[in-house]
Amino acid sequence: MHRRTLRGLAPLLLPYCALFCAGMALTLAQSLGLFLPLGTGEATLDHYRTLLQDPAMAQSLGLSLFVALVSAAGSVLGGTVLALALWRMPPGLRRVGVVSKVGLILPHVAVAFLVLLFLGRTGLVSSALFQTGLIASPEEFPNILHTGSGLGMIMAFLIKGVPFALLLIGAVLFGFDVRLVQTARMLGAGPWRTFWSVTLPRLLPAMHSAFIILFLYAFGSFDIPFVLGESHPGMLSIRVYDIFFQRDLDQRPLAMAILTLMFLFAGLFAMLYNRFAAYLDGWRRKL
Amino acid sequence: MRIKLLFIMLLAALTAGCSDAPEQTSVLQQDIASLEKTVRGTEVRWHMWGGSAQINQWVDTFVTSEMKRLYDVNVVRVPMDAPVFVNKLLTEKAAGKTTGTMDLLWINGENFKNSMQAGVLFGPFTDRLPNFSAWYDPQKSAHDFGYPVNGFEAPYGRAQFVFEYDTARTPTPPANLAELADWIRANPGRFTYPQPPDFTGSAFLRQVFYATTGGHEQYMNGFNAELYAKNAPRTFDWLGELKPHLWQQGRTYPKDAAALDTLFARGEIDMAMSYHPAHAQMKILEKTYPDTVRTFVLAEGAIFNTHFTAIPFNAPNKAGAMVLANFLMSPEAQLSKFRPENWGDLPALEVTKLEETQRKAFDEVDLGAATLGMDVLSAAAVPEISPEYLELLERDWDTFILGH
Repeated sequence: MHRRTLRGLAPLLLPYCALFCAGMALTLAQSLGLFLPLGTGEATLDHYRTLLQDPAMAQSLGLSLFVALVSAAGSVLGGTVLALALWRMPPGLRRVGVVSKVGLILPHVAVAFLVLLFLGRTGLVSSALFQTGLIASPEEFPNILHTGSGLGMIMAFLIKGVPFALLLIGAVLFGFDVRLVQTARMLGAGPWRTFWSVTLPRLLPAMHSAFIILFLYAFGSFDIPFVLGESHPGMLSIRVYDIFFQRDLDQRPLAMAILTLMFLFAGLFAMLYNRFAAYLDGWRRKL
Repeated sequence: MRIKLLFIMLLAALTAGCSDAPEQTSVLQQDIASLEKTVRGTEVRWHMWGGSAQINQWVDTFVTSEMKRLYDVNVVRVPMDAPVFVNKLLTEKAAGKTTGTMDLLWINGENFKNSMQAGVLFGPFTDRLPNFSAWYDPQKSAHDFGYPVNGFEAPYGRAQFVFEYDTARTPTPPANLAELADWIRANPGRFTYPQPPDFTGSAFLRQVFYATTGGHEQYMNGFNAELYAKNAPRTFDWLGELKPHLWQQGRTYPKDAAALDTLFARGEIDMAMSYHPAHAQMKILEKTYPDTVRTFVLAEGAIFNTHFTAIPFNAPNKAGAMVLANFLMSPEAQLSKFRPENWGDLPALEVTKLEETQRKAFDEVDLGAATLGMDVLSAAAVPEISPEYLELLERDWDTFILGH
């Protein structure tokens, strides 16, 4: 059965794989200093060495990880809470959930600009406060977008991520057999115990997938950081763009080396996270 | 079958076949008159930076209609950043694509250097263009950021670096670098510059580099690493010392010149800068800046550069590109471009070589109250230096200023 599906998909998968692998191969080759636009030298690991010795690179990596982690965890948490809240509502009121679709429909760039328009120091919120006399000058408005911790980016990712997590987790929840919960309650489990032993285990797979997807997207994304990112430390993706388009050609291998490392990290992260999730699951069952 | 083809194409792209096309020298052997005959009814795709609505407007109206009227050529403007089309050319060369999609490029500085080193430009062609020999001083456009041009680029405009300020907020602007530093200290949070490697931000770095290390002359004989190592610390000391007094305490910088303009227009900062002397006037006409905005240059000099057009090695319509490059150098096009309502870009030709009536027309162009006079600008003009310095300055700025 599986084999047949695969064989049916093969013509579609082949160009995809070919393009993907060719792109990866070229990226890897250029990161080692081969196939470069300006002459080709010996294969070398120097570019990786340069990267690993650069403290600014470590800061960029830290920021990328921080923003991805906070926005993915926040989105999953928010999405779960909202999904549960909607699920508790009488079916007539569940339509309220449509509101969350707004965040799904807007492109990332649009959300980034919304955050910029509303929360910039000369943005709408600041102007409104200034006009109503609550603050004496736009300088008094708290500096949300330039704290150096990527707060503006995290906000934009949350606006996009919460509805996404809600969609994934809500799908599981609304297909959920209510009789399971009712049985648990009849057998004398309290609401917390019911949630912990009956509801949560069925939500966890969706929560884990949402977390991985959102984390890896935020980690490598370009659009939101491009609008809301700060000069220092820049997100990794912005650094790659900078080196690739705005620096001398002989720096190209550096950009490719960052991309290669990011790709390896993404693969490794997904793998380790799955192991971790399985371990957590086992540990929870023991309780 | 298709997939097989795709594989072969990918392999070809990967193994970077360096198959050079036979040089289309025939275009270079014809005189302009016969070129103009051959290009009738063809299309020329001009790839250029598309970040200025006014410049786009000028190309889409004046250039397009004149080229149609004079030579029956359709000019198609394609907005594309220079680094992007340089990358495109490199990829096409690596893949052995001998017929590209770009006919003429607006190019300058390190993008030109990169293209020349990678051998993706066609030429030398400027000696074939009558407008170049008639109105231009070959000495003035012999180098582009210190890199020899050798006839691979046709000059078509000049730009110069000026600071912008609002007389309503700042009655007298700083006269030199020391006064600028005092002004920044006296007005904390009211000054910043676009983050290098942005074109304007990088030019500001070089302004400071010249002014803190005793002028540009020492850098004119090509790149000298020892000299740089000896001088650069003074530049970064100056910048580093002022960093806490900048907008956002110098922790973050506007992404590009447009972001800087926005901050200035909104009143978040009191000083801006531009590589176009007429930029402030343009913004006043647009009603983005208040009428009280004026420009100034520092006593230590204001960097100028020439911008050029060039032809890719695989341009499908090289003849058309040469005719367009020649037209852009004509006194008529230069004059139209010079008018502030069109663009306000400084002419690249020698006004002294023109006939009386034409010279008068150039003299009568009024660039508006916000633009400095040609006499002030020429007196302050200092040339650009080789891209190696530029790269090092940008790299060290990342390390010593941004990273601290």
